[in-house]
Amino acid sequence: MAAMFSQNPVMNGPNYSFSDAPRTANGEFREHRFNPYSDNGGSTLAIAGADFTIVAGDTRSTSGYSINSRYTPKVFKIGGTTSSQDDATILLSVVGFAADGEALRDRLDAICKIYRYRHGKPMSVTACAKRLSTILYQKRFFPYYVHAILGGLDEEGKGAVFSYDPVGSYEREQCRAGGAAASLITPFLDNQVNFKNQYVPGSGTGHDLKEREVVPLVRRDAEILVKDAFDGAVERHIEVGDGLQMMTITKDGIEEVLLPLKRD
Amino acid sequence: MTSIGTGYDLSNSIFSPDGRNFQVEYAVKAVENGGTSIGIRCKDGVVLAVEKVIASKLWRPGANKRIATIDRHLGAVYSGMIPDGRHFVDRARDEARAWRDTWKSPIPTADLASRMGGYLQAYTLYSSVRPFGITAIVAGFDPSQPSPVDGEVGRGPSVGPGGVKEGLTHGGPGLYMIEPSGLYWGYYGAATGKGRQAAKAELEKLDLAGEGISLEQGVKEAARIIYVAHDDNKDKEFELEMSWISDVDGPTKGRHEEVPRAVREEAERLAKKALDDDDEEEGKKDDEKMEE
Amino acid sequence: MDHRPQAWGRPRDDVYGAYDASFMNPNGPNQATQSPIVTGTSVVAIKFSEGVVIAADNLASYGSLARFTDVKRLRTFADSTVIGFGGDVSDMQYLDRHLTSLAIDESYSAPSLDSDAGGPPKARLNAANLHKYLAKLLYARRSKFDPLWNHLLVAGLDDDDKPFLAAADLLGTTFSAPSLATGFGSMLAQPIMRRFAPDEEAAARLTREQAVDVVKQCMKVLFYRDARSLDSYSIAVVTKDGVDLKENEKLENQSWAFAERIRGYGTQTA
Repeated sequence: MAAMFSQNPVMNGPNYSFSDAPRTANGEFREHRFNPYSDNGGSTLAIAGADFTIVAGDTRSTSGYSINSRYTPKVFKIGGTTSSQDDATILLSVVGFAADGEALRDRLDAICKIYRYRHGKPMSVTACAKRLSTILYQKRFFPYYVHAILGGLDEEGKGAVFSYDPVGSYEREQCRAGGAAASLITPFLDNQVNFKNQYVPGSGTGHDLKEREVVPLVRRDAEILVKDAFDGAVERHIEVGDGLQMMTITKDGIEEVLLPLKRD
Repeated sequence: MTSIGTGYDLSNSIFSPDGRNFQVEYAVKAVENGGTSIGIRCKDGVVLAVEKVIASKLWRPGANKRIATIDRHLGAVYSGMIPDGRHFVDRARDEARAWRDTWKSPIPTADLASRMGGYLQAYTLYSSVRPFGITAIVAGFDPSQPSPVDGEVGRGPSVGPGGVKEGLTHGGPGLYMIEPSGLYWGYYGAATGKGRQAAKAELEKLDLAGEGISLEQGVKEAARIIYVAHDDNKDKEFELEMSWISDVDGPTKGRHEEVPRAVREEAERLAKKALDDDDEEEGKKDDEKMEE
Repeated sequence: MDHRPQAWGRPRDDVYGAYDASFMNPNGPNQATQSPIVTGTSVVAIKFSEGVVIAADNLASYGSLARFTDVKRLRTFADSTVIGFGGDVSDMQYLDRHLTSLAIDESYSAPSLDSDAGGPPKARLNAANLHKYLAKLLYARRSKFDPLWNHLLVAGLDDDDKPFLAAADLLGTTFSAPSLATGFGSMLAQPIMRRFAPDEEAAARLTREQAVDVVKQCMKVLFYRDARSLDSYSIAVVTKDGVDLKENEKLENQSWAFAERIRGYGTQTA
């Protein structure tokens, strides 16, 4: 106990001690009690077609068992020329911690806008997808606590959906569900979009079974699928409901519809 | 110009043998060429007015404001070199903000004048700087009610020691004029710039120190005085710009604001009328003289 | 005797045990707010046809102690917006000062009261602007792990002069709805208000009187059931015509008859 004896030659004997870090009564380091994250519930879903992409999300915002608001959009247009986003070509949905989601959306939007001003053309979805991954990974050690899904049309005009984990790992997919009811919607999508466990009738039994050929959905079918997926999720998950915001991007632009969901 | 050729006017921070700082005196010359600014301290508020010389026909009417807001309850106007005035305003705003940060309450007019006086004075001390080429008029209204500290909790006891005393008022209107030397005084009526002599003569007639005048009357007088101080024959065209500050129960609710257009235009109408009447009277006198 | 300033006024180790002077150490971790100290409880607000009604009681609690009983938690900004503060009172005061200086800075360049024809539109801070600003500020502070411990409701008008009501909390989370309530109010008052304004259309049909009545009813229910609340409260109505703020309202027509049947509310013998 060197600290017990003063550097001050005038003093000898017991001293005043000065410890370094705040500790609890048990002598353990006291940790920050503030939790910078919360979960605002909700669910999102995106499906890519041959020449369109649908990005959808419910509009409920929750804190615990409380509903904050019945209309809080989770799907955003990205990279339009102005704040009205009339000429945007990319969609982003974010679900998880809403404040992080909006911060992420604002950053990606600003970057896409600057790209547009500098290059005189909108950013491609594939470029935007990579950029979003970088933004997320930049906060690898204090992540944006969101499940992001990016949608648009690729350079060939085909529907494109990119899905991300909170730290930027990403993948292009045919469809993806995110958020609270992701685990409820995903198997439905596996079956209805990717035709998993669907076989050609009469093709035999066991290993002889022939899988049904996977073809992109037509737009109308995909839209019905989205509505059905959410109607199902609403029944089984308390954090999902109120409204369904569905944005469809085609070569003609972005269409947005708001459909009612159960508000219970 | 006795100073010329003596060498004592070439540097700031050097006195002449008879105790003058010529650089400061030259700065005063810059002020004397600027558009007239005046301030009137009324019973229930303060008025600032300036003769804004229209230097270009390409200016949009009403644009390029000359009177500045320093803090909610403080305004300033100046005559002389406009960029120097702009810097004066910037500094005054910083002072007002710093005061609020420290004391959590608005800066009293007197304290702002003191700080700005000190600031200008510092520019007379060093050879590396020149004095400000402006004379500024600072107007303010310190709230008459005990002003709440920004964001305070509660209002304290309502009676007894430390409680609010019934009928006790504080603050009131304040008017200060700060010269290039850093010299500042409080005034009932202040004038500077090209037409200051005529304006001062008019201000002295107003009995501001005795009975005083109302804020509304002050606005009319201010407009008239700017018109009187302007020489139609010699000077360029001008625009009248006016601002005022009243107590919290007055027309500006304790804030420094531009005088509303309707009020200003009425004051200008009366000012022009007063000038015309004067001219007529002069005319009559001349006629009488002719008859003699 | 140790004359170093750090030791002034400190209890002696040999008598009282080692003194934890960690807070004086300049090299230690910075202490940010870990929890609120003096707090305000719920804020409630509801939109109606021409504006927004917002209310909060006048109490600042110190834990369970009703410490300050005339604290005004509704604050007016730019003569057109009311912000209701729940949570830490010192952070509320900080925000109040911060927004005041923001409003003063804004007034430097304020165009004339009646800008001449062809002039630029009036530049002013409306409720939507303030809400966006506050949300960004709160989010930035939570990202520094030094949060401003408040839950705010911002009431006023948006860019189109339509009623605007939105919330922002210490994490920077934002949301908007026809009626909003913070703290206990989100459980006790929000269901009452949603009966009258289930959606935007219903809120747009409410009259000013109806909205004020609903909010007063909510304040009463909150006083009945929230132990950290007070019967003296502030209520403000924000419309195009400005802010009508009353800071010393008292709850009217209380009836504690319901309490007789509830154990713990009053004196009970068995």
